[in-house]
Amino acid sequence: MSEPALVELRNVCKRYPGVVALDDVTLTLRAGTVTALAGENGAGKSTLIKVLSGAVRADSGEVRVAGTPLPSNPGDVIRAGVSTIYQELTDVPEMSVLDNVLLARHERRLGFLRGKDNRRLAAAALARVGLQGFDLRRPLSSLSPAQRQLLEIARCLARDARVLIFDEPTSSLPEADVEALMGIIRQLRGEGLAILYVSHHLEELFAIADDIVVMRDGAVVAARPAREWTHPDLVRAMLAKDLKNAYPWADRPEGPILLEVRNLVAPGVRSTSFAARSGEIVGLVGLDGAGRTELLKAIAGATHPSSGSILVEGEPVRLGSIVNARRLGIVYAPEDRKAEGLILDASIRDNVVLGLYSLITRAGLVLSGKLAALAKAAVQEYGVKAESIRQTVGTLSGGNQQKVILARAARGGSRVIMLDDPTRGVDVGAKFSIYEQVLQLALRGAAVLLTSSDTDEVLAMSDRVYVLRAGRIVSEVVRAQFNRERILTAASLG
Amino acid sequence: MRTATKLKDAELANIDRQGGSAAREERLTLGALVGRLFSNTTSAITVVLFLICVVLSQLSPGFLTSRNVYAVLAQSAVVGVAAVGGTFVIITGGIDLSVGAAIGFSAMLGALSVQHGYGAMSGIFLTLLIGMGVGAINGLSVAALRLTPFIVTLATMGMAQGLTLQAAAGQSVYNLPPALTIFGGGRIFGGLPISVIVTVIVFVLGEILLKRTAFGKSVYAVGGNREASRLAGIDVNRVTFLVYLLAGLCAGIAAILTVGRVGAATPTGGAGVELRVIAAIVIGGTSLFGGKGSLWGTLVGVLLIGVINNGLTLLNVDPFLVQFMQSALIFIAVLFDALNTRRIAGRRLNPGRTAS
Repeated sequence: MSEPALVELRNVCKRYPGVVALDDVTLTLRAGTVTALAGENGAGKSTLIKVLSGAVRADSGEVRVAGTPLPSNPGDVIRAGVSTIYQELTDVPEMSVLDNVLLARHERRLGFLRGKDNRRLAAAALARVGLQGFDLRRPLSSLSPAQRQLLEIARCLARDARVLIFDEPTSSLPEADVEALMGIIRQLRGEGLAILYVSHHLEELFAIADDIVVMRDGAVVAARPAREWTHPDLVRAMLAKDLKNAYPWADRPEGPILLEVRNLVAPGVRSTSFAARSGEIVGLVGLDGAGRTELLKAIAGATHPSSGSILVEGEPVRLGSIVNARRLGIVYAPEDRKAEGLILDASIRDNVVLGLYSLITRAGLVLSGKLAALAKAAVQEYGVKAESIRQTVGTLSGGNQQKVILARAARGGSRVIMLDDPTRGVDVGAKFSIYEQVLQLALRGAAVLLTSSDTDEVLAMSDRVYVLRAGRIVSEVVRAQFNRERILTAASLG
Repeated sequence: MRTATKLKDAELANIDRQGGSAAREERLTLGALVGRLFSNTTSAITVVLFLICVVLSQLSPGFLTSRNVYAVLAQSAVVGVAAVGGTFVIITGGIDLSVGAAIGFSAMLGALSVQHGYGAMSGIFLTLLIGMGVGAINGLSVAALRLTPFIVTLATMGMAQGLTLQAAAGQSVYNLPPALTIFGGGRIFGGLPISVIVTVIVFVLGEILLKRTAFGKSVYAVGGNREASRLAGIDVNRVTFLVYLLAGLCAGIAAILTVGRVGAATPTGGAGVELRVIAAIVIGGTSLFGGKGSLWGTLVGVLLIGVINNGLTLLNVDPFLVQFMQSALIFIAVLFDALNTRRIAGRRLNPGRTAS
């Protein structure tokens, strides 16, 4: 506690109509310290970040940066040394690396850019995050997502950030790059920066944090040094209730083979063959870019395979036709909910029945009673928390949005249900209910194909996993032989 | 308890969008009432239409006569029918600039065929077929060839105009049989234009198609999120093709009304209709971003444009100024749409409302 406090929040409150988003929050960020913030969706973490980044103003209370009040607009906050790295990249892919690092912070003299100073500044900032030895004039789009994430940090450093706020920085990073990011964060801590780290991945918090602060319902409910927390303690503090088991499990009888994929070649997929049985949950494990999503999309007909065959209960599926795949019971729930899974401006009702119009029409006409009944049943069965089925899907939390997608995927005669990272960005409580629904789908006889950015999750849920590398299956492991290290090694090396 | 209040809030945001159709726990001050009406383009524009009618009836004694009302409706029929198809197109996120030219082209070929001795029935049939042909070309280009709707329909617009002038050598075709012109020029029940009845029928059928069929649901879905719709198993290309085909069919029907109204097929018939169609649709609250809109809004938009034109004429306003006011109305409608969209997006990002 000897380190100087860089950011101090005292009794900060923020209300939205009907919601107390921040309830008397007091929090200190110290130099050379990583403070982790944990909490369910809606606990107030996002609002806290918005207050700290100057995007919204607190209703009451005090926020000080190095003793002076926090400025009231985002630009001044950054100039005051507080920078935020958001979940989604905020760079400009068409511009060069140099311009991206210096976005809105070019050295100028008499209004003209000073090339040499700018290059030196950018190179120094990039070196601090371990990005060295490449041409600064390269287009940003030539960098990997992980490198771009690091570049975002470099941009903050180029603006003389003393306080860094990370908002779910690993949600789109493959596991190997997470470790690299952790290394950079540790190094920045060593340089004396104050860091606030927000993530759903609790193991990351334990790996990186000096202090862990838990928020619930807008209030800070616990703040302790990381070594004094245990995993169950932390979950309990976040939920204020015990989750008996992190993952549900039920033995299922071995059913007949439902899905057969033979020598499938498709964009991002090299000759792949495998099968899945009725009642089985089959996990697909692989690094980012190993071809998990590509394989699922090819089976769903969303991309055009160049050769191979797909059979559902022995019946061949027309390759490259989503409509035909859907008719034969293949359904794909995409990993990018907002871009590919939902119509955000439409109601829960219209999202649940998306593509299921044959269930709600007779002689071509929509039966509104049937439509409402179907949507209501789905909302109830999947525990979507909403006031009515007319509520706009975009106003729901990530977990509830995912439940809407699951409810849709389960209907319309689905037999092969492919869930691409269904718990991405979803809070702990909602995760559990999603796991239960996945299990239910398998118990009802579907073949479930599951991927996740969290390998532990796939291993806990699956009867069997296929390990993918560079677009093909490199090994098959049954549940009795699950071994996290070996599977991850197979995914990265072979 | 807390969750419940939060959800109520989210629901309120939603109710706002739907134009305050559901009850709100808010004191009904005049300001709140006005705010609620104007939170939705369709209801706002309906109020505006009503107010303009009241003002015009005071300013001009000729406004509220049955003769003038019928005239306004008849003048609005061509735009109204074309706007039904256009609404479908715009809800999918597309646009059809070729509708005016398609009207002129199909009217001209239909009239020429009649002039060359084919019957009125085959003339009508040919007119509809040509309209659908233009729509099919638009639809195939956008759906199968993945071309940009704006450019494709701009091109087909020019092509259709050129062919119209070429086919008739720049001349109008007169002396058409009553069986062809009755739909656009005939009246029944003591003065009610038949074109108005045709328009009403097209609107009713369009409304059923849009709101009560799987196709209509798909139209909204494709406009709301094309990729999500595709992955959910909707045949997105088919839906896209069909909305342009429908727009072409509506252009064909509008062509028959045009021929009847003028009593001839003119080489510039239908020119400029596309702008009035798009204006009416946008004024009626259908979003150019796709996914949102209604035929009711379009109907009100069509009437608003008709009434304003009529009123300005009755008040002897300079016709050049009429064009200015019409365009200013489009500007305001688009601005309104963009502001509303931004407001909703802002609410969606609001953390307090996304809580579970």
